[in-house]
Amino acid sequence: MLEVTGFSAGYQGNDVVHEVAFRVDPGEAVMIIGSNGAGKTTLFRAMCGLLSSSSGKVLFGGDDITGLPAERIARLGMRFVSAERHLFPRMTVQENLLLGAYPGRPDPETMSVVLELFPRLAERLRQHVGTMSGGEQQMLAVGRALMSKPQLLVLDEPSTGLAPLLAQATYEALGVLRQRGLTVLVAEQQVPLAMAFSDRGYVLENGFIRLQGTTEELAANPGIRSAYLGVT
Amino acid sequence: MIANILDGIVLGLQFGLLATGLTLVYGLGGVLNLAYGQMAVTSAMMVAFAMDAGIPALPAVGIGLLAGGLLGLFLDQTILRPVYRLHDEPRVLLSLLLTLGVSFIVDGFLIWRYPLKALTLHIGGGAVEILGVPMRRGSLVASAITLITFVALFLFFQRTTLGRAVRSVIEDEEGARLVGIYPDRMLRLILVLSGVLAALVAITRSMVTPVNTTSGLSITVFALIVTVVGGLGNVAGALLAGIILGIVSVVAADLIGSYISLIILLGAAAVTILIRPAGLLGVKE
Repeated sequence: MLEVTGFSAGYQGNDVVHEVAFRVDPGEAVMIIGSNGAGKTTLFRAMCGLLSSSSGKVLFGGDDITGLPAERIARLGMRFVSAERHLFPRMTVQENLLLGAYPGRPDPETMSVVLELFPRLAERLRQHVGTMSGGEQQMLAVGRALMSKPQLLVLDEPSTGLAPLLAQATYEALGVLRQRGLTVLVAEQQVPLAMAFSDRGYVLENGFIRLQGTTEELAANPGIRSAYLGVT
Repeated sequence: MIANILDGIVLGLQFGLLATGLTLVYGLGGVLNLAYGQMAVTSAMMVAFAMDAGIPALPAVGIGLLAGGLLGLFLDQTILRPVYRLHDEPRVLLSLLLTLGVSFIVDGFLIWRYPLKALTLHIGGGAVEILGVPMRRGSLVASAITLITFVALFLFFQRTTLGRAVRSVIEDEEGARLVGIYPDRMLRLILVLSGVLAALVAITRSMVTPVNTTSGLSITVFALIVTVVGGLGNVAGALLAGIILGIVSVVAADLIGSYISLIILLGAAAVTILIRPAGLLGVKE
């Protein structure tokens, strides 16, 4: 579904990620783990058209989407949920969800699926987003992306700024989506959360992919156990 | 006093609509259009020429509104192209300089070729008494059109998908892109809308007082002042600020003299920047 090869990107000519390659197959949940500053956000922003890349290719559903602007990529069915969420703060929850389906007509069935997944949003449809808690905003960011019935959901650090229980709840919701067949790519520095959720993963360090494998393989790797899982 | 306040509201509604066109373009695209008043005047002149050619008033007004929209589209397709490649402060500055240049050219041309041309739309019938004050019918028709336009604008922005998409770009451009909204298309739409609004203000204004070829600069200045007081990208703020400043302007002109009212308006804008930098209804970012 998504295939990234030899991909480099950064800011003002200084690459932050170097020659990165990975793939996500339909129906998979794939994680990219790494510490703060490893280049996860840069990689995702460039891949999703918010930042230009300096080399490499991004294939989505077999089509070359390298260098397309974010708004085109979003319409192709690859939805990015940024760690900063980028919701519309002076609009209501409902308006944010409706815009998620833009330019299409919001599908009532999808809306009820989203509200069933996040009952907190259903209680707050008329509330302005700027007044909501971080956890609710994260639910809304995911919900807004789901409104377009994406083929691939790309999440950057969905646990950012959330209390442990809320981060857990977010991943539980993602788990439900996965079971329903949604393909998910997630970047996460809280590695245990991502591991409980993903089929496969890649380890990004200083802008390079150092390791890859199934979640079991990565969880058994001594280097990862000490660096990311706190096991010595 | 009641007469002053009513006159102030008539003027203020037009101030509000005027500022709406300017503030939306700025809030959405970081483009400050200093040729805004010239767009208004050029559209008004199109109405005057159309009527000179024997076209009845109503279709002539239609031509004027169309001209306003086309002027907005023209700016978007030509002179603003290099502006779109810049971001943040350089973008505002370049848009300001380029549109200022456009305003000089348009003003120069109009004053050279049509120094005495003016648009006056006569609305027949006698005065109508409101709260014991006789109001000219032209003022009432102008205010009614302005109010209806505001209602239409609010419905558009609050109730339609396209209107929400425009607001989303003002609130968070990156968020808008992530849901598949093209910010450049929204800006083009709003530039066309702003041209139509500029034309509409000039046309309704001509029902109250003549609009002539030299009115452009003062229209831009009024729009800027109201925009600053109302807050950027905020239609409700523009309406509120317009009405307040309209009343202030008329009362000040009556009590002290019309020379002072512009100074008072500028003072109001300066005080607003000091106390509430985001405008009356502005939200801190």
